[in-house]
Order: sequence, then structure tokens, then C-alpha cells
Amino acid sequence: MSSRTELSQEREIIGTFQPAIHLPQNWNYEVTGPQYRALMHPPHDVGGQFDFSIQHEEKEEEQWELNTYVTCEVLAWRGFWTAEERRRRADNDLGYTMYLGFPYYGRWIWSAARMLVDKKHFSLAELMEKFAEVKSRYEK
Amino acid sequence: MKSKTMEKSQNNIGVLEEHPLGVQPRFKVGDRVQLRDMPYFFYTRSQMWARGVVGTIAALTYSDLVPEDEAFNVDGRVEQYYIVRFRQKDVWADYPFEDDTIQTESPERWLEPIS
Repeated sequence: MSSRTELSQEREIIGTFQPAIHLPQNWNYEVTGPQYRALMHPPHDVGGQFDFSIQHEEKEEEQWELNTYVTCEVLAWRGFWTAEERRRRADNDLGYTMYLGFPYYGRWIWSAARMLVDKKHFSLAELMEKFAEVKSRYEK
Repeated sequence: MKSKTMEKSQNNIGVLEEHPLGVQPRFKVGDRVQLRDMPYFFYTRSQMWARGVVGTIAALTYSDLVPEDEAFNVDGRVEQYYIVRFRQKDVWADYPFEDDTIQTESPERWLEPIS
């Protein structure tokens, strides 16, 4: 169980996700043409956008990353989704905050879970309960 | 993990009837409960501000579909909904008045009994 302090810290982090430049966004009927195109832009198409230089790092995949990769490939092999659907879900549908906030394979596993819920292979409530049960094993 | 399929309990105008499947409520008015702090996934109606806070059952409202399931058009399971009353001071640490309360609705699965 998260403490009140942890929840309060979580709220502060959520506050930092607010865009640095944000027009009042509720009841925003005055979306200009360029704004509309920018809002509709898929997050994974980043070519030409401003960014800081990234330090190149030689790093092996971690075990959870390999597990995620194999899980997603097996789901494709068994016909649950295609590679293109995985890309659409993991790179496009999750939005900028999660796209930029998760590591590469974090986005993969997020999209696999979402796909299985969307296609009713199990329900969201069942997934939540299972997640809580497994998490509690590690907290003992 | 596959949900059991039950018949839809809707009348002819598409409105859910009260207690359609005879759900047996786990709590009664006055019971002390704590809102669970379950992981966030994709959709929930259980607000962050109330998580982990101990409150009191103020009313039993109705039984209806599990919200996290209904949000994805899965209409198998039905559960009891409650109005839960919390002390404002238990929710917001620096809240200035002792006696003020705040209420929210919660489905049964999110509530744990406090003895």
C-alpha cells in the first residue's frame, strides 16, 4: 500500500508532465491549422525535432527486455497481433508522455498488455488483480 | 482468466435494472473500509486522492458491471457500488477543519474491510 506521502509525491510528478508551454486547454475551440497538425502528429516520428545530444552507450539488453521481446514475438507467432500493429500501439497510441517516459521495451510490454485487454483475451479487472497478486509476493 | 459470460440484464430501453443478478453486498452502512491501492492500468474510476484512506460506508447505491471491464465492453461480472465517506483531514493532511467530510462512489472490489 502506498503511503500518503508517496501518493503526494506521485501527484507532484504528474504535475511535471504538464507541457512547459500550455494554453488553457479545456474548452479550447480555437485550434489553429498548424496546431491541429501538430496535435495529430504521431509521437514516434521525431526526425527534425529539437533534442539534446544523446550519449552513445554500449549496453546489453536486460533480462526483462529479452523476456518482453520474446513474449511479443510469440504473441505475433500465435496470431494475436502483427509487427505493424505492435508498432502502431507501442509507438503511436500511447501518447507523448509515455512515449518519452518509458524505456524502449517498456513501451512494448505496455502495448502487449493493452492489446490483450482490447481484444478481450482477459479483462482489465483480471489483469489488475493478477498484477497486485504478483506484486504482493515481492513485497513479502 | 477468461471472463464468464452472463446474460445481459437490461430492460427493453437498455437501462440496467436494479440488482439484476442478486449480488450479495459484502458491506453495510457504517462499516469501516479502506480504498485499495491497485496498479494503474488503462482505466479506473477509483481516484488517487482516496487511495489508502480509511472511510465509512455511507450508502449502498446499486449493483452494476465491473467498471474496468465495462470500459472495454466486457459485460460479464456485476458488483455492488457504495458511497464511501472520508474525513477531509484523513485525505488532505493540512486540511484545516476537523469535522468536514467528503464522499465518493466506489465499486466493491476496491474496498477492503477495516476491523
